[in-house]
Amino acid sequence: MTGRPPATDPEGGAELERAIGSVSQSITDPVAKLRYLRGSLADGRAAHTHVRAVPSAHLRWMLYRILSVAGLRHTIDIRSLGYRARSEAAGGRMLVLSRIAVAAAALLVAMGLVSVAYKASRPAARPVEASAPGPGSPARVSPPAAEPGPELHQAAGIAPSAVWLVENGAEFEQYSNGLRIDTSFAVPGPPRSYRVFEADGAFGPAVHSVPVGILYHTTESDVWPLDAAFNENLRDSSHRLLKYVSRNRLYHYLIDRFGRVYRVVGEDGKANHAGHSVWAAEGRTYLSLNHAFFGVAFETRWDGGRALPITQAQLASGRTLTQYLRQRYGIAAEMCVTHGLTSVNPRTHRIGHHLDWARGFPFEAFGLPDQYGRPAPSVATFGFGYDEEFLRVLDEPWPGVRAAEQGLAEQAAIRGTTVEQVRRERQDLYDRWLAEQVRDEAERGGATMPARSARTTTSGG
Amino acid sequence: MADERKDHLWKVQEADERVEDLVSGGNPVGLDVGTSKVVSARKKGKGVDTAMELNAFIPVAYSRFTENILGQNDISYYREGDELIIYGTATERFANMFNTDIRRPMADGVLNPREKEAMGVLEAIIQGLLPRAKAQGEILAFSVPAMDGKTSELTYHEGTLRRYFESLGYKAVAINEGLAVIFSELEDENFTGIGISCGGGMCNVALAFLSIPSIMFSITKGGDTIDASAGAVLNEHAFRVKVLKEEGLDLSKSPKDKFEKALHIYYEDLVETLVDALRRSLSTAEKLPKTDRPLPIVLSGGTAKPKGFKDLFERTLKARSLPIEISGVRMASDPQTATARGALIAAMYEK
Repeated sequence: MTGRPPATDPEGGAELERAIGSVSQSITDPVAKLRYLRGSLADGRAAHTHVRAVPSAHLRWMLYRILSVAGLRHTIDIRSLGYRARSEAAGGRMLVLSRIAVAAAALLVAMGLVSVAYKASRPAARPVEASAPGPGSPARVSPPAAEPGPELHQAAGIAPSAVWLVENGAEFEQYSNGLRIDTSFAVPGPPRSYRVFEADGAFGPAVHSVPVGILYHTTESDVWPLDAAFNENLRDSSHRLLKYVSRNRLYHYLIDRFGRVYRVVGEDGKANHAGHSVWAAEGRTYLSLNHAFFGVAFETRWDGGRALPITQAQLASGRTLTQYLRQRYGIAAEMCVTHGLTSVNPRTHRIGHHLDWARGFPFEAFGLPDQYGRPAPSVATFGFGYDEEFLRVLDEPWPGVRAAEQGLAEQAAIRGTTVEQVRRERQDLYDRWLAEQVRDEAERGGATMPARSARTTTSGG
Repeated sequence: MADERKDHLWKVQEADERVEDLVSGGNPVGLDVGTSKVVSARKKGKGVDTAMELNAFIPVAYSRFTENILGQNDISYYREGDELIIYGTATERFANMFNTDIRRPMADGVLNPREKEAMGVLEAIIQGLLPRAKAQGEILAFSVPAMDGKTSELTYHEGTLRRYFESLGYKAVAINEGLAVIFSELEDENFTGIGISCGGGMCNVALAFLSIPSIMFSITKGGDTIDASAGAVLNEHAFRVKVLKEEGLDLSKSPKDKFEKALHIYYEDLVETLVDALRRSLSTAEKLPKTDRPLPIVLSGGTAKPKGFKDLFERTLKARSLPIEISGVRMASDPQTATARGALIAAMYEK
């Protein structure tokens, strides 16, 4: 092709760039290559002024080669590296090499210190006398099993007149009812924003941003025996779970097996906890409850709900957390419900898409009405049914489903039609309402609806 | 990793909507906001999923009948007062039907100051390609042109887009269009070489060495200039010329009719302007890359798509003396998505 060769670098910078270029050829991932190149160039240019003074070309090449290989660390650095420029002055020709050596040594020392600190902060599980495992306690690492539920312990004592923030620190909040919230895993969520269907079926124009309900979940994660011999497993399991739910913004609160309450998603944000779900109270109907409800998860497996699957500490914390949320946001008792009672599958028009706490949630212990007895809105208002899998897990639906089905039968009898016909009409109603809600969220910038639909409705067309 | 025990979280996996969230959550996006087309790129499995939409609109008078027709035919539109604004890919069909020219929300690589509907239309088009961020702060890299001496227009354009993307929940970073081409096409050359994006409104050029750009410039000639110029001399609507151009123009063969003749002339003019600008830019550059290897040139963009474009570019290049050695000229693997794919790499780098 045309032209003269590109300008060469009289100061020898090409040597560095050749070394970097040569190493980067072996990187196949474009993003990793980009990170490597930019990181290594920034590092190398800081060292270049000193290395270029080395009289031996061979030695210079070796130094540049070392620098370029050291730059591979940038490929595992997930932070944005940008065009970092090192501005610090160097003291001598060999400073670069010594820096590398010192950095490596410092890294090793730091790793050692971190390791020691980690161990120190997580002492080996030394059982206290009262809970010492018997000699036959197996230190097994076999698949974890759910704990049998403990008895509810109703302690008497003086209750505070209200729940208020007593004290807070960088990573905690302490409330007057004993609730202590660990905020070290908290992340912000997208702002809450939702509309509700009013008693007359109209989609209320008001856009709400204040939560009106609490949805209780189980995490369905590993559950290790509540035994000192498994202390490390219990802590590690919770820690991993917290990282996972925080990263994916799955709940607002998580209560671990020791009753520690962690804020996961900030209270003014939406968490991805409810999926397709239905609840109704005081004439208002709520679909897809992520925005309108808090998600409170207990670290446990529900396992059919025949036994209480949470620890006494979780129960106590769940009560204080509920008390705090209800008081702070004026949440009505009938708006505190479980995920299993609300979860639906919109494609099949069946309830129980998720079944956690579809049976066995201790509403009474939480000072809440028995929601299992309330006619299920998903059945009563929207005619949803259930399948064999649902019955395989639950044996029979909770009483509220039966009550709602009774209502459908009465409606069919009054109209002289079949229950199936009534169900179909109500399922159609659900489909329409859900579509309306999805469209509305898209218009307000909350979903992925096609732009055409969104703009059409916005402009009243 | 021990902390990735999703298999134990069967409940989380079971929920379709959550799985969707998990799959796409934290997924960076590359967006080529071009004068002629908007193209998005996202990672999908081991590959890249791209989608594009024509960056154009046409207003028609509002009537319920027209609106019904648009709705029934799944045409992208919205109502604005007494008008229905048809936008995106369907615009060309309607321009043909109404025998009028399409309108652009962007001109010369930036928001069109002569169109009051510019940002509204662009938002509608982007909405169709870009869902709201699943998680606050997801990275989106969007292309911007190099604007010699028109920095205030670029500042406004970039700032307006950035605010819009941030309102969708993204952390937006801008990337030069030519550099994006280098990112997507010159990985094997360690992101060293010259990337050229020939779009509708302009041609953007960047020269990078080991991914670091040293020269970036643009010329305000592109596919739209060719269409408009040819249309003017042929007394035809520009969109009609565009259709003919895209139906199979071959620049390596002699023109068959007056349309092709005009298109050949304006293509040659564009390439000459481009190569002249490249030569001038390289000659006046204060710093050229410190490399002893010749540099590759990669061509991309919809305007570079006609058969024979590469040969025309090479011929023109050979007729001029450049201050650097060129190893070869090649077309991008997919010229229309190269910028978006490069922007995606930039977004993943920033993640």
